[in-house]
Amino acid sequence: MEQKPRKEASEDMVVPKPPETPPSQDPAPVMRPEDEAVVAERLRELGYIE
Amino acid sequence: MQEKPNIVLISVDSLRANHLGCYQYPLPTSPHIDKLACQGVLCENMFAPGIPTQPSHTTIFTGQHPVTHGVVAHGGKARLTRGSPFLPEILFEEGYTTCAVDTLFRERIWFGRGYEYIIDPSLRHMFYASVTQEELNDRAIHWIKTVPKGPFFLFIHYWDVHYPYVPPERMRGLFYDGNNPTDPNNHELDEWWQHPIGAMARDTWLRSSDGLIRDPKYVTALYDREIRYLDEGIAALEAALEQQGMAENTIVWLLADHGESMTDHRICYDHYGLYDCTVRVPTIVRWPAGKLRAGSRLAPFRQLLDVAPTLLEATGSLIPEEMEGRSFLQQMQGQEEPSGYDRVIGLESTWQAKYYLRNSRYKFILARQPDMLGNPDRELYDLAADPGEDHNLAAEQPRLAAGMEAELEAWLAEKLQALGKTHDPVKEEGAVAESIWAGHRS
Repeated sequence: MEQKPRKEASEDMVVPKPPETPPSQDPAPVMRPEDEAVVAERLRELGYIE
Repeated sequence: MQEKPNIVLISVDSLRANHLGCYQYPLPTSPHIDKLACQGVLCENMFAPGIPTQPSHTTIFTGQHPVTHGVVAHGGKARLTRGSPFLPEILFEEGYTTCAVDTLFRERIWFGRGYEYIIDPSLRHMFYASVTQEELNDRAIHWIKTVPKGPFFLFIHYWDVHYPYVPPERMRGLFYDGNNPTDPNNHELDEWWQHPIGAMARDTWLRSSDGLIRDPKYVTALYDREIRYLDEGIAALEAALEQQGMAENTIVWLLADHGESMTDHRICYDHYGLYDCTVRVPTIVRWPAGKLRAGSRLAPFRQLLDVAPTLLEATGSLIPEEMEGRSFLQQMQGQEEPSGYDRVIGLESTWQAKYYLRNSRYKFILARQPDMLGNPDRELYDLAADPGEDHNLAAEQPRLAAGMEAELEAWLAEKLQALGKTHDPVKEEGAVAESIWAGHRS
């Protein structure tokens, strides 16, 4: 169990660009207010929300 | 510079440690959190002794094990008593201005204890966990800019990584290398639809203009996009502290109350099950003026009940003897050799009624009642050979399993006796949500 210093210097860190999927293959879900209401109601039924 | 440090305690609900770059995730989900880790101290083995959100946050604020404070489930009967210490209350009494940008007090009243300010933008949503980091930051940053002089404690609780996973449009296209998220021939998630949380997802946030999302790899990508989005929020909060000249003497403590199962152990996109994906949580602490050993990683076992005592030591406050956790501030400062717990014992009582005992080599899981997935009542994993906890050794190594079970029961009996309690809280509550759901079905 040891304390290990990290090697990299944070100031030099470059924010990497993530890999991308063409948007045509990416349907991206949308949460509508009526969906939120359903989620809240279901969790209320399960005792999560009073 | 003021004598006492400011504290920004960041809880990211449902953030799984090994989906962050600084915890060896191969995808670039968390560049800014990784940078924070480089500037501060990272705990490699922080465990939640109670899951999910309400038990875990009660432990974070009280410094007590769930068996002690009694809150072991969502929707359970137990209520936190006034006798339990509560971090924001203590800091307020010590002269701190205290603020929560959070929703928890709406679920359980004790989460409002000790706060002079409570800000809750989730009121603008039908479902509180749909509140975004931008909405929370908008209020939190405004509060930081206008906070009265003197030290402050700010608790900010982000929900982006908690279901529903609906990242903003600009994250579209990230982290998914599959071909067809809505392929009607993909039945990998069919079992999940039978669970009420899965049915809820199927009926709401997994619907898209192209049809129902059925590819679990795509759902995992949505989770990772939420982390990336959250990561932007952490950067914005950090920048605000910097702009206000507060970064040097502010402790920024980022943690999660629990992790998240993707499809591990047939638990889909949820946070029950006492496996490491859910009970091992990220913890990163940065405090430039506190001379933490920047860039170091602490390997010994720690528990979330250590958070409050550590913060109290950092502020020069007395740690109430009712707090069971141990400060590890001096370890983070390099003044003490790293050390920790030989074992962690934890529990859940929401979707399953179980305990776990984990040491550096093995994990033993004991069910107080059969679970809905049909798992055996006793599970034993060799974490050195099987870090994914896929091969249950309980039948192959019965002596080891029996020994760990006896150790767990002895710990529990001793603890209950010391507390003057007669009932095992997990037996008493049972699997609360599962019972409610079963009641609805019958």
